[in-house]
Amino acid sequence: MKPQLTLQTPLELPIQEISDYLNKLWISENAKSSGANTFSLVVWQPAWLEQYLVKQKLLQNPITGNLTPEIISIAKEIILKNGLSLATSLYSQELIDLLKNNPNKNEVEDLRGQFFESSISGLNPRRLITLAPTLNEKPQIKTFVSAYCPLGDDSTNQSICGDLVVIKGDTKSIHKTGLEIIKELEITSLPSWLWWNSSLDDSPEIFNSFIKSNQRLIIDTANGSIKRCLSVLSQSMTAKKAINDLNWLRLKSWRESLAMIFDPPHRREILSHIKDVDVDIEGNHYVQALFLISWISRKLNWEFKHTKRNNGSIQIVFTQNTEEIITKINPLEVGTSSIHSGQVIGLRLISKVNGEPSKNTCIILGSESVECMRLEAGGMADMQLIEEVVPNPFVTSESNVSQLLKSSRGNTSPLFEETIEIASCIFEGLTQ
Amino acid sequence: MQSSLSNPLRIGLRQERVIPPQCLIIFGASGDLTHRKLIPALFELYLQRRISSEFAVLGCARRSWTDDIFREKMCQKLEKVVSDNKKEWDEFAKYLFYEPVDLQNEEDVFKLGERLNEIDQNQATHGNRTFYLSVSPKFYGSGCKALKNAGLLKDVKKSRVVIEKPFGKDFSSAKGLNRLVQSCADESQIFRIDHYLGKETVQNILVLRFANAIFEPIWNRNYIASIQITSSETVGVEDRAGYYESSGALRDMLQNHLTQMLAVTAMEPPGKFVPEAIRNEKAKVLQAAKLANEIKPWECCIRGQYGSGGNLSNPLKAYRDENGVDPNSTTETYIATKIFIDNWRWQGVPFYLRTGKRLPKRLGEIVLTFKEVPVHLFESTIINPAPNQLILRIQPNEGATFKFEVKSPGSGMKSRPVEMEFSYDESFGEPSDEGYVRLLADCMLGDPTLFTRSDEVEAAWKLYTPLIELMDNSPWKLPVFKYESKTWGPPEADQLLSKDNIFWRRP
Repeated sequence: MKPQLTLQTPLELPIQEISDYLNKLWISENAKSSGANTFSLVVWQPAWLEQYLVKQKLLQNPITGNLTPEIISIAKEIILKNGLSLATSLYSQELIDLLKNNPNKNEVEDLRGQFFESSISGLNPRRLITLAPTLNEKPQIKTFVSAYCPLGDDSTNQSICGDLVVIKGDTKSIHKTGLEIIKELEITSLPSWLWWNSSLDDSPEIFNSFIKSNQRLIIDTANGSIKRCLSVLSQSMTAKKAINDLNWLRLKSWRESLAMIFDPPHRREILSHIKDVDVDIEGNHYVQALFLISWISRKLNWEFKHTKRNNGSIQIVFTQNTEEIITKINPLEVGTSSIHSGQVIGLRLISKVNGEPSKNTCIILGSESVECMRLEAGGMADMQLIEEVVPNPFVTSESNVSQLLKSSRGNTSPLFEETIEIASCIFEGLTQ
Repeated sequence: MQSSLSNPLRIGLRQERVIPPQCLIIFGASGDLTHRKLIPALFELYLQRRISSEFAVLGCARRSWTDDIFREKMCQKLEKVVSDNKKEWDEFAKYLFYEPVDLQNEEDVFKLGERLNEIDQNQATHGNRTFYLSVSPKFYGSGCKALKNAGLLKDVKKSRVVIEKPFGKDFSSAKGLNRLVQSCADESQIFRIDHYLGKETVQNILVLRFANAIFEPIWNRNYIASIQITSSETVGVEDRAGYYESSGALRDMLQNHLTQMLAVTAMEPPGKFVPEAIRNEKAKVLQAAKLANEIKPWECCIRGQYGSGGNLSNPLKAYRDENGVDPNSTTETYIATKIFIDNWRWQGVPFYLRTGKRLPKRLGEIVLTFKEVPVHLFESTIINPAPNQLILRIQPNEGATFKFEVKSPGSGMKSRPVEMEFSYDESFGEPSDEGYVRLLADCMLGDPTLFTRSDEVEAAWKLYTPLIELMDNSPWKLPVFKYESKTWGPPEADQLLSKDNIFWRRP
């Protein structure tokens, strides 16, 4: 379990008293301090899966909003038992629908907003606001407030660091009243982030209101329908909204490993002769694969031509100086899939030099050696082989979020912007 | 056809550490360092898109320049870089500002505070300020005091001071300066810069040692026979005679750059990669270091001064004939010394450090010579099998070489040495950043890992105190030997090692 951030249970306060209370809190605690000069973080934390599991008595612990190994293992069991694809997302509607059907009414304590990984709390957010929608549909909203102070290695000069607000209620009330409270609590002099810790299909009316706000968005395009994910990205680009995607961030080790292969100058010639690219993914959520192909094509100046579905795969054709490059996204069913849908597990680039077969090269990156072996099949060993294993380590979403909070300058990464542009174009071609 | 110059897949991947909103204030903005190193480094950071739009550089000096004149001057001085990136420079120049400030004049410094508030508002720099003292060392203390009196160092989290070398001229002056500076700002606000630590290859020593399981077990007295650290320059004193006459090679290079390389090479592994853990280990190893003979320091140190040299078409002046140099000067332009480190890891392993001007090559390297095999089973093609050596090249041709013995081809069983190479150029194909790029970014990010802490500086001065005292009080005991320009120093320096049956590596 993640460390509890607050030493005391947050105090329940009427909405209209929150601002006043928070202002007084700083004055009474430390006259000189006005809190950490860092950032505010708003977290959309529905934890639907956890709430339903509790309702079903499949989980007895208090609700914290964190995806614990226990929740993952129960959810995977349900997926297996009900014959869903092994790569089914833990945020998917299919899974939630299965749980909705059972009418149990178990209730446990809801501690959302009080537990954060130290990777986030260690950054001393000045204000943490958790939006915690409940399954209860009765219009009702409750607000809780507390000060917190994470104890880091260097605890000097850290008598008090930030405050924490939890807004609980049904989705409609949160939309109607909760968002107003957030506006009121905004600290205009500090950067403010919104982490949408849910599927992008969830509560679109609330998400859309954040697109219009000042917050820098953190989303995860592994969660939600592909259409919705790409439309959110395009929408943000059009609105010139700073957006960060955990699914893109998780691709970093693949981008870095591929770039690393071509660091030695003598290998760069290979890049001019690439003819085929294969990307293997877990399940069929192909947004991350689309990002990878779009990024490669952009960096190598390939021009997108057309795309089509082909026996379960997606074929995307590019050209470079009239030469065709065929790329493929291959969805695979794997035994133990990641909790993030559509993770890339293999990448193969084949470079062929006309008339000089001895210079033909095959580059294989696989998340496991088994995947590398799979990609080696079909006569690849006749070429020069460059292979690397790029493990997909399990990193919590909180750690990824903290990386973004630490490093982002508050605009969308230029690399990601370029990638979104091409990915959207390919997706459009696919849906036509 | 792809360019063989840069890796297209690499473009844009190195963006992780973006500098937060910041105003960098450079005192001594009309000086050499500003246009030779600082502004080019900042422009490089800008080109790498690592500077946020909430940024400003405020140049300060006594000259009554304006913002426009400052921009113009920088543009002229950086002509080559600007012409290659005209559009980007025009954008970058908008971040450059200038304020005439005499650090000794209280009124000027108070006025500077007002200008900084104005910049904060216009550039949204959030009150984050880094004061860079690129001024004469004699103004370090008073400069910090002036900043403190004007209330510019009050916010421990938001304001920092960067101090260039030399930090003091001996142990007691460094201690005094530390005390003075620490009375003006918290130690966490003070960044003592040593640009050698900004070099990729120096940082790579840490990675090489602590990210590879094969090196650390043999990185000690059980396997290593000796270590040589060399930093050589081909140039003479150039136009720095005024400064160099009062410093010499010991204060200019040995006490800081070479000693920092020694610390990084010899330190214990830190518990974790955090600034204080690393600096603790560096300080500890420097505190354990001592001259090989503290009672008779002249026996473990050789000083030299370059004489004339070159050839008919390119004659080179002797140091004493250089402009601004006293014709009877006894300032050393070369120094070699032998050091021991009194701890479990390094007991009995000699560290030989040498640095000099007008040597045959410009280079920096660390050579770890391993112990010989206990029994020579094979005849060598040369007299004896050469001991294994790991050579870490700091500059140029950054990389590493490992020398070891293999079977010489043929029907016999003779051994001969070969080299295994790692070259930054061949592996990465792109030049690494200048040290200042890294260090400027780090200080604006508030990361002190690569900056020297007060106890490190003091320990480094303390290490050489017997030599400094000798040079000041009985210089005849530590004579300055002449060496011909473009040779590897005086022959006496070779004898320093040959006594131990070791030779300087001839790179």
